[in-house]
Amino acid sequence: MTNITHNMDKPVSLWRDAWDRLVKNKLAVIGLIMVLVLFFAAVFGPYLTPYDFLSQNLDDRNLPMSTAHWFGTDDLGRDVFSRVLYGARTAFFVAVVVTIIAVIIGSALGVLAGYIGGNVDRFIMWLADVTMSIPNLLLVVVINTSVKPPLARWMETQYLETLNPIYRNTMWIDFILVFGSMALITWPPYARLMRAQVLSIRNRPYVTAAKAIGLPARQIMWRHIAPNALGPLIVAVSAGLGTAMVLESAFSFLGVGVTPPIPSWGNMISDGLRVWQHYPHLLAAPAAVLGLATVAFSFLGDGLNDALNPRGVK
Amino acid sequence: MSVPLLDVRDLAIDIDTRYGKARIVDGVTFSVSKGETLGVVGESGCGKSLTMMSLLGLLPRKIAVSGGKATFEGRDLFALQGEDLRKLRGGRIGFIFQDPMTSFNPVMKIGDQLMEPLIHHRGIDKAAARKRAGELMRLVGIPGGETRLDNYPHQLSGGMRQRVMIAMGLACEPPLLIADEPTTALDVTIQSQIVELVKDIRDKLNMSVIWITHDLALIAGLVDRIIVLYAGTIVEEAKVDDLYANPQHPYTIGLLASLPKLTAEKEAEKYLPSIAGTPPEPGRRLAGCPFAPRCDRKLAVCETTVPKLAGLTSNNTHRVACFAVTGAPPS
Repeated sequence: MTNITHNMDKPVSLWRDAWDRLVKNKLAVIGLIMVLVLFFAAVFGPYLTPYDFLSQNLDDRNLPMSTAHWFGTDDLGRDVFSRVLYGARTAFFVAVVVTIIAVIIGSALGVLAGYIGGNVDRFIMWLADVTMSIPNLLLVVVINTSVKPPLARWMETQYLETLNPIYRNTMWIDFILVFGSMALITWPPYARLMRAQVLSIRNRPYVTAAKAIGLPARQIMWRHIAPNALGPLIVAVSAGLGTAMVLESAFSFLGVGVTPPIPSWGNMISDGLRVWQHYPHLLAAPAAVLGLATVAFSFLGDGLNDALNPRGVK
Repeated sequence: MSVPLLDVRDLAIDIDTRYGKARIVDGVTFSVSKGETLGVVGESGCGKSLTMMSLLGLLPRKIAVSGGKATFEGRDLFALQGEDLRKLRGGRIGFIFQDPMTSFNPVMKIGDQLMEPLIHHRGIDKAAARKRAGELMRLVGIPGGETRLDNYPHQLSGGMRQRVMIAMGLACEPPLLIADEPTTALDVTIQSQIVELVKDIRDKLNMSVIWITHDLALIAGLVDRIIVLYAGTIVEEAKVDDLYANPQHPYTIGLLASLPKLTAEKEAEKYLPSIAGTPPEPGRRLAGCPFAPRCDRKLAVCETTVPKLAGLTSNNTHRVACFAVTGAPPS
């Protein structure tokens, strides 16, 4: 009885309800903690270690793991732990930016397609199909070899002429160009998801009821349709973040993503692979962290799915 | 005669099917005066809800008004668009939906949902809207009143939610309230409470009400006039007392006979008669009276000609569309 009274006195929002379900799921909590640790490392990484991720110390090359260098040092004497932490920043930055852009483009187009329908719907879905047919690796390679070099040269001449520090750091070209293009081709799944959500929600009685009390379309869209479509989107975003991280590492591994000396787990794995028989820790450290990050995001994604769509739970 | 609040003439609604257009509502004509309560009765699928939805421009895709006129407060409803239509919905015509379980947004507090029409039609600020919402909750008899504003829909029972829905329909004190089977999803004791509630509020606010139902007994004490719809056409229209005392159309007689009586004495009366068969599907309507295949007083002419509503000679406000009652047309 006390329980029931308590329940009625303190209204529980559906989000709160979902959160309660999420924290009851052990794997999801493990995933969430791992993601938070990685996020912490991404934000504060460079301040956590005594070594700079770029500074070389040729006296201390290829050291094994020790208390001084937790993950050892690489062939230029750089501290691997610092580099792995900076790799988390790279991975998170890329994953978050790519996913945010993709989600914004995807949900805007998906919602429009679902809400307006007709030829707008047909056109947007056609665009999604065309976009999905582009192999993303090929696109990144093409952009990397065609657009990037002239842009980098232009930045260089600009820097020499103006000495403006904005033009100095070419790292931004990698990020903006390569991963911008990645975002432009990863939006279709979000568009399809949101379209399906809107199609199913737009005919629910409460949307008709909202129309019948004379609410403007914008209000119906944002207060009645969007919040109800959000659950699956959150799940998709969590999975998408993991996928984007792996994709970033894959491109960097192949040398078309983040270019050295900026550390990325992908280019560290690529470097470590050449010498793994002699210095296995150079391969093991970034590979293990990448693996853990992937697992963390899929645990969290599964947990979110169960928490936000509880009908699927036994 | 004064101008009625709502006047619908020859309303026709078509549905687009794979086999072409089919007429689902045909030649529906009725009017509601200020303060009057109209009951709309008929089986499921005979066009009651669609008729009302069409007035607010809320017809689903592929269903559209294809003829007729509807005038409300001197304005042509079917010509309204955009902002005007939006102001009408909720502002001038309140609508109560059939299913209180699914007609609320599950992720919004009911208070916020109740405040929406107030904020949008009255242009009042949030604090004032919340205060008014609390008053409305009391008006519709929610125990606790404003303390329930922070509840989510799943925390209220069906009857409570239907009361909140009525509060939403009433929020802006519209001159006309359309209630689309508001009690169908509720159990019997709650049903009569809801009827009493609407009656009470109608008298307080001097509203007109259109009450759609398939339960003739429920609305006997509520409505002034009843129209009986069958297969998208009006088959009988009468003042409520006339209809109960002296039903004319075989369909109305069948509907009334199928109500259980508490005073059944003879063994035969303990069995409820039913009307055999089902209404015809739209698009497969017959040339003649749509009720003819199920009618036990069918004449030859019923299968070839559609009967028109005609007043009885004894009582002109009681109109019926049946050749067996008004006599076959001269051929």
